[in-house]
Amino acid sequence: MSLDQVTDGLAISFDLNGERLSLSAPPAERLSEFLRERAGARDVKVGCNAGDCGACTVLVDGLPVCSCTTAAAQVEGRRVETQSGLAKADPDGQALVAAFQRHQAAQCGICTPGMMVSAVALLREVAEPSEAQVQDALGGVLCRCTGYRKIIDAVRDAKGSASVAPGGVGTAMARVDGLPKVTGTEAFGDDVAPAGALTLRVIRSPHHRAAFTFGDIEAWRAANGLDLVLTAADVPGVNRFGVIPGFEDQPVMAEGEAKFRGEAVAAVVGAGERLAMLDLADFPVRWTPLPHALTPEEGLTAALLHEERAGNIMCRGLVQRGDAEAALAGAAHVVEGDFSTGFIEHGYIEPEAGFAERVGDRIEVHCCTQAPYMNRDAVAKVMGLAPEGVRIVPTAVGGGFGSKLDLTTQPFLALAAWKLGRPVRMAFTRTESISSSTKRHPSQVTMRLGVNADGTLAGADFFGTFNTGAYASWGPTVANRVPIHASGPYRFADYRARSVAVHTNCTPSGAFRGFGVPQSAVAQEQLLDMAAEALGLDKLEIRRRNALTNGDETVTGQVFDTGMGILDCLDALKPHWDRAKAEAAAFNAAAIGTKRRGIGVASGWYGCGNTSMSNPSTIRAGITADGRIVLHQGAVDIGQGSNTVISQIFATALGVPVERIERVSPDTDLTPDAGKTSASRQTFITGNAARLCGEALRAQVLRLGNVSEAAVIEITPGAIRLTDGGAERVVPLSGEGYALEATESYDPPTKPLDENGQGDPYAVFGTTAQMAELEVDTALGTVKLLKITAAHDVGKAINPLLVEGQVEGGVAQGIGLALMEEFLPGRTENLHDYLIPTIGDVPPVDTLIVETGDMHGPYGAKGLGEHCLIPTAPAILNAIADACGARVHHLPATPATVRAAILAAAT
Amino acid sequence: MRPFHYSRPSSLAEALIDMRDALAAEPNSSAAFLAGGTTQLDLMKLEVSRPDRLVDLNALRGEAGHIRWDGTSLRLGAFARMAEAADHPDVRARAPMIAQSLSLAASAQLRNMATLGGNVLQRTRCAYFRDTSWSACNKRVPGSGCAALDGVNRAHAVLGTSDHCIATYPGDFAQALLALDASVVIAGPGGGRTIPFARLHRAPGTTPHLETSLRPGEIIAEFIVPAGGWFRRSLYLKVRDRQSYEFAVASAAVALDLEGDTVREARVALGGVATVPWRAREAEALLRGRKLTEEAARAAAQAAFTEAAPHAHNAFKVELGQETLVRALLQLATMETPR
Ligand SMILES: Cc1cc2nc3c(=O)[nH]c(=O)nc-3n(C[C@H](O)[C@H](O)[C@H](O)COP(=O)(O)OP(=O)(O)OC[C@H]3O[C@@H](n4cnc5c(N)ncnc54)[C@H](O)[C@@H]3O)c2cc1C
Ligand code: SF4
Ligand code: FES
Ligand code: FES
Repeated sequence: MSLDQVTDGLAISFDLNGERLSLSAPPAERLSEFLRERAGARDVKVGCNAGDCGACTVLVDGLPVCSCTTAAAQVEGRRVETQSGLAKADPDGQALVAAFQRHQAAQCGICTPGMMVSAVALLREVAEPSEAQVQDALGGVLCRCTGYRKIIDAVRDAKGSASVAPGGVGTAMARVDGLPKVTGTEAFGDDVAPAGALTLRVIRSPHHRAAFTFGDIEAWRAANGLDLVLTAADVPGVNRFGVIPGFEDQPVMAEGEAKFRGEAVAAVVGAGERLAMLDLADFPVRWTPLPHALTPEEGLTAALLHEERAGNIMCRGLVQRGDAEAALAGAAHVVEGDFSTGFIEHGYIEPEAGFAERVGDRIEVHCCTQAPYMNRDAVAKVMGLAPEGVRIVPTAVGGGFGSKLDLTTQPFLALAAWKLGRPVRMAFTRTESISSSTKRHPSQVTMRLGVNADGTLAGADFFGTFNTGAYASWGPTVANRVPIHASGPYRFADYRARSVAVHTNCTPSGAFRGFGVPQSAVAQEQLLDMAAEALGLDKLEIRRRNALTNGDETVTGQVFDTGMGILDCLDALKPHWDRAKAEAAAFNAAAIGTKRRGIGVASGWYGCGNTSMSNPSTIRAGITADGRIVLHQGAVDIGQGSNTVISQIFATALGVPVERIERVSPDTDLTPDAGKTSASRQTFITGNAARLCGEALRAQVLRLGNVSEAAVIEITPGAIRLTDGGAERVVPLSGEGYALEATESYDPPTKPLDENGQGDPYAVFGTTAQMAELEVDTALGTVKLLKITAAHDVGKAINPLLVEGQVEGGVAQGIGLALMEEFLPGRTENLHDYLIPTIGDVPPVDTLIVETGDMHGPYGAKGLGEHCLIPTAPAILNAIADACGARVHHLPATPATVRAAILAAAT
Repeated sequence: MRPFHYSRPSSLAEALIDMRDALAAEPNSSAAFLAGGTTQLDLMKLEVSRPDRLVDLNALRGEAGHIRWDGTSLRLGAFARMAEAADHPDVRARAPMIAQSLSLAASAQLRNMATLGGNVLQRTRCAYFRDTSWSACNKRVPGSGCAALDGVNRAHAVLGTSDHCIATYPGDFAQALLALDASVVIAGPGGGRTIPFARLHRAPGTTPHLETSLRPGEIIAEFIVPAGGWFRRSLYLKVRDRQSYEFAVASAAVALDLEGDTVREARVALGGVATVPWRAREAEALLRGRKLTEEAARAAAQAAFTEAAPHAHNAFKVELGQETLVRALLQLATMETPR
């Protein structure tokens, strides 16, 4: 019998995690949506809706499939298993839960259900899978955070039984917030909307630049049965937002002219099912394409995007000391080159999502974000409300890397929910996310580097042009940071670095792990290798000879008494370097085919926190009468681990076991401002606030008990027991709310930069040196990475396993930058035309943790988030050159580019 | 996604009746089949495909989901999953190239769902075709122009192109079928027929929207791959921009029948570089009867690309395609073959 049905009413019967369900749905509805919205299985994640990311993987009759490219009707009569079910009832699923926790295989956790579901299917077939088997089985699931290595370890060790004990500073304990991520219960931006919330979709410009007018919007709205259409005219406050004071230049919805492809011009709100039937291309808007500029060269001469910015120059940066020109003229060798990198997309697997509702005279927005307080203030301005009129409740964040600092869904949701008085939800499509979110700035760098005959650096002149897109976003930060960092962690008496950020009709460039520093390192670290070649000097040695040490002046004239650990990092690499050098030489001596090995090294440094700007964090904590210890931890954990690190620091400072700490998660109503999660500042700055807060609370307790610093604290219901030497004291706890409470802030000491960029921009720099070993197929131009060895001075590793996780994830992003990633506006707006590394692209990563301590960091700890990716790309490029003599100046080094460089080097 | 008519026939015969009825009611019906759905659902989400009727063929697995060696040929049911064929011992042992072309494609998650029939019929990944905000695409909207000609065409084809379309055929498996002289068993409302695989795909010419020689309502039931002396000494080599889960920038499906080091028979098909699965007969002819040296391999590779017509960003594909073919040939020459 042929079953015949029209549209939406097909009853579909299937097993979901062992339970028989029969639900009605349009037969071709995506299984992912069917499971999430109709069966309530929000543990099925959606990253792309195109088969590209695997986040939506479920088991159908035991086989992992992408539920977003499967029709709901295809599971009729079949058995569907998802992560939450497997974690509960499947032996392999349970083993994996423990293993993923043990190995910290989940960072943000958005890819985790897809990874674990695929791993269950593998383990059912193969009890002890090889690395290759894991790579094949999990190959269709993308992860942007972990670099995959810990995931491979966890799957291979699923049957293992080692346990990790919780502990304070220095302990490699499991994440305090890990369990929901590995059991499928974590709630991300698109998982929190109440039933019945309306859905919002944004109408965006399909042109790089276009004037537009609307047709009869009201008639179109009514005809399609929608609840609301929003345009710029509906913004009650200021239709502008931004992240840097004085640079608030981006409208929520454009007025009359859209300045980049993907810019919002309107938004529509209605029931989800209605919107699903709608082709947004029918929205009544008339476009008149206008001439556009996509590159800085075009931008410099194009019509002004912002009237007050002549030549479309948004801002410039400068650091100069000594006389670079004279130094270069007197150098034994001068190497120079032009280097460029393209737009890089953050590629977090969770698209921007959230919901908002009006609660009395206030608006509450639940969303994935890295900067709740900045979001609150910006939304308030858009809404014409006082900041207190807005509450931002961050959900779990499925990756951020800088792009979830800026406003995305928030103003739309707030506007719609406010107007309608009903909850409204939205999730960006992958295309929308890629076309409209901020990017890493494309860079064009021209640099000259001079060296003396003894291998010391004579001087350098750096000029970097950055494509900052249509709006400012974090562009000024990039323009400021780059000249400070473009020296690398080396001694220069004579140095000049200039940067300029130019507007174009591209999506705004913003913050992305490293704020421009990875781009400058691509030029500077390659030139350093070229200089070593000119001198005939070992590449590691030239770096050692010039490495900054405590007491040296940086290019801004800052002197560090502690914490300048680059030499320690380079020394940590030395034995690995010698081994790899010998191995590569032996391989190449015996090579007869077209494969050649190469090794490369690069350094990196990065100032933690904002550049010469106040950026405090505040932490509050209290002890209740019934003996609960509550930490109001407002630093958003986007997967990097701040929930765990801040808890470990606080517990150590207070002197209690970390597992006793209860966390109040970030919420602008409940947690004080811990600043934004960016600039590698949370461990350092919020960590210091947590340490001060823990110490303050401890001091109160000790005072009450009148005991010494050395006393041991035990907090129990109704009382705190203090043991000091042989003596015991009991301090009773009573009262409503907190019996004891402390709030402490920390703001790193910095000094402003003068007109030559001289000053103390950061209280702390983190340093790193990495080494890449690889194989180039000189005929095809393909590069196979063999190993990355990464030495990082983190001051003090609060949680060594988290350090490794950050490093591996950063290295993976560096691999992407070096070898495959480039966003082309209008062309690579999905996760298949825009390639990020897969599980097959990340080789083993050996992390060497260097702990030189630091006078400012909490327990000597420094930030790490951005450092990890800075040296990776130049180390890889240096290794490619070492293998085959080809210097890649323009990234990414795809097979075609490498091959072209090889041919160019041969002629 | 908009309303359409959905049916789930339980046999091939029923499916054909469904389609015949649909076409009788609406001769210009945009009816589409749903097999694994990994292409079809994707294109529906993108609004590139807007079928008025969807005929779900998933129940045909029992009837046409087989993988079998019948003594002279491999018989591959159109509804067998890519993963099943890639892992099948007969396929792996007898025609390694077929297994490789499948296991190097997409991801494990997709291969578990996608069918062999759907795979050969997957549509191009040309971004201008897949993104309806670009108005010019002759394949999507006949007569609208081609945005790729002046656009970003790094991923586009250099062989088999026309002034109307330069979109690359993205699949891998088809090259293996083409090289091995497979044939396609087709069932249709008007009766069945069997055609050489080489006749399934149509080069764009002036009608890039017509991609295959299938008639409305016809269903691919089976692929038959005849054994030959070159069957076992075969391989599929794929070059891509990342190590896994990515379409080919250039690929070569090569099978050789060697006598000593002399080529008795050669079969060469190229992927990632052409608008359709591309058989390089000139290369085969040059190899036949010659010793398989690097020089011979280079001459063959050059011959395969004499007609190449690169555009602004894809000139590299000519050389990369040649190098890929050279590599595949030399690798095969030294390959140990069973029996
Ligand atoms: C992220 C991603 C990566 C990919 N990477 C690769 C890759 O590297 N290499 C590669 O080769 N492929 C790749 N693919 C393509 C994938 O292999 C195809 O989507 C899949 O094989 C299609 O099979 P299906 O059964 O899902 O077809 P469906 O989507 O169900 O159907 C595809 C088309 O064929 C028609 N059709 C299906 N079966 C029949 C039949 N028997 N007779 C007549 N018409 C039929 C349908 O009407 C439809 O038009 C990738 C896909 C994705 C999403
Ligand atoms: S190459 Fe073909 S598919 Fe791509 S835009 Fe041109 S006509 Fe369309
Ligand atoms: S959401 Fe299904 S593969 Fe990305
Ligand atoms: S942990 Fe994998 S994407 Fe974040």
